[in-house]
Amino acid sequence: MNLNTRTRITLIVVGISFLGLGLWLQGSILENGVSTPEEAFAHGEIRIGIDGSYPPFAIDINSELTGIDIELGKALAQHLNMPVRFINMGFDGLYDALISDRVDLLIAALIYDPARTRDVLYTQPYYDNGLVLLSNPERGILSPERLAGHKLALEYGSSADSMAQRWLRRFEPFKILPYERPLYALASLRLGQADAALVDATSYFIYQREQQNWRVTFQYVTHAPYVMAVHIDKQDTLKLVNQALSELKKTGIVDAILQQWLGTAASFAESD
Amino acid sequence: MLSLIYPVEPRAVLGTPRSVETNVPSLCVHTRLIDEVFEWKIQYSLELVREMGATTIVEFFPWAYIERSPGNFHWEQADRIIRHAQNQGLKIIARMGFVPEWARHDESTNSTLNYLPADRYDHFADFVARFAQRYQNSVSHVIIWNEPNLSFEWGYRPVSAVEYTDLLRVVYPAVKASSPETIILAGALAPTLEPANSPHGLNDLIYLEQMYKAGAADYFDGIAVHTYGLQAPPTDEPDAGVLNYRRVELLVEIMKKFGDGHKPVYITETGWNDHPRWTHAVRPSQRAAFTVESIDFARKHWPWLNKHCLWAFRYPAPTLSYPDYFTLVTPDFQRKPIYYAIQAYARGTEDTYIPWLPPPTP
Repeated sequence: MNLNTRTRITLIVVGISFLGLGLWLQGSILENGVSTPEEAFAHGEIRIGIDGSYPPFAIDINSELTGIDIELGKALAQHLNMPVRFINMGFDGLYDALISDRVDLLIAALIYDPARTRDVLYTQPYYDNGLVLLSNPERGILSPERLAGHKLALEYGSSADSMAQRWLRRFEPFKILPYERPLYALASLRLGQADAALVDATSYFIYQREQQNWRVTFQYVTHAPYVMAVHIDKQDTLKLVNQALSELKKTGIVDAILQQWLGTAASFAESD
Repeated sequence: MLSLIYPVEPRAVLGTPRSVETNVPSLCVHTRLIDEVFEWKIQYSLELVREMGATTIVEFFPWAYIERSPGNFHWEQADRIIRHAQNQGLKIIARMGFVPEWARHDESTNSTLNYLPADRYDHFADFVARFAQRYQNSVSHVIIWNEPNLSFEWGYRPVSAVEYTDLLRVVYPAVKASSPETIILAGALAPTLEPANSPHGLNDLIYLEQMYKAGAADYFDGIAVHTYGLQAPPTDEPDAGVLNYRRVELLVEIMKKFGDGHKPVYITETGWNDHPRWTHAVRPSQRAAFTVESIDFARKHWPWLNKHCLWAFRYPAPTLSYPDYFTLVTPDFQRKPIYYAIQAYARGTEDTYIPWLPPPTP
């Protein structure tokens, strides 16, 4: 039996939806216990593992940690009325630090990784660094179908490039303008040399903040939700962090932090 | 139902055995094939390694994946990788590590895969000896552990050159008894400036000295080291207080000081990163240039260097973060400019491939 591409995509989406529902249910089931912050964070503080080499999420400037992940960690701790300590480590050591109880929580621009779910629990997402398709408002090229015959700027060899190569196999032909850096792809669109650009959301938000007079529309075409992680045995901690994150979203604090660093309030809504 | 959604993957049939054509016999890459699900991707990765001009791969063969319960061995994936590497004419350096759950202490429920209790050294040695014997005609070198001078690589315990030397003391004779020709590499040491008593690790120069003082020299045939350029060009002078590509020269000085200068050195991880925002990254064009320069520099100035292995050839799946920008080939096999630059150098031709457009100007 042959299935066309649309049917395959639909089935995949349905499958992923079921998977997501299952994970959500798993999280809900695991969230039965109720603890106070003092019980959930038994060391008397929230020890947060971060990677301070990855702006704008965390960066060490003259031994001062700052960035989105740092501000989120501080806001969480304040909401839970607990002291906070950031432990700066390389990307490679983050998960092992959580597993071996060196830290209570990871906030480190982490993507949900199914391979890690034997060891960790992930929170609800706080940011989406998926790929965004951009075009000038008058052109309105916000889906791959509408790229036909147009020029798409992107960073050579990036995940955007991989996505564009896949689109070329599925949709009407368009021309790729490859650049060394994502900001060059965005400049190409801004200067009218490209009709559309495909970059990760963070690259776009940072560029847009520096080019405030540039009018452009964008649409997410993939999702890369950033999540926090706790130890697999810490269901109570997960519940507390998720509750706190929901509250911080409702009260606009997460958006304010994103606005400060990216010039946009682009957090995942609670229902996401 | 999945078979209806996904087309059948291509088969990976072994072809006529190939050989590597290169001007750079020391050229090597660290692959990440052990987690690759599809055999054809293993095969294709190794074809691309050969076509780039590398003679050798470093691949990780985790103990935890192979001996999942005591005495119960699962060699299928290792066999697959080694079969295809041999078919492409590639030599293999095996990195050994990752402790199965059964080999950790009961009370250490929070222990990581890098936690090896001292009373399990003999179990690990048995595994490495068994591995070396099984693949004695195809795997020439084994690296005992990875970056033992970093705390997280030592099971998030305080690092100890004495304990690591004890491990070598147990593993070395076991492997030599089962496969006398296998070359045993110590390390691979991580480049770091961490001072004594740091919770993160210990300076590699101090750690190597401590290894020698603990009597390690008799228990390894060569040393594996990692060296990264970060944002500096490869020709920057070595300096004990700086992490740069030529830091490895300082390690060699220590080897000579302890009468071990005759042993070969294997750089089993090196390279630059070209992520747009990571604080230690360079531009993609710089990365390609620095990498080729580093290979050239090593060939001309480091007679003690046996292999020069770049981190990393390709990941089986994207991390969607800056580690993706260490690779030479994307998960879906798009070759990056650095791949072509290295290939041109290995072939002795000029690299004229510039895949990107110049920065746009008004």
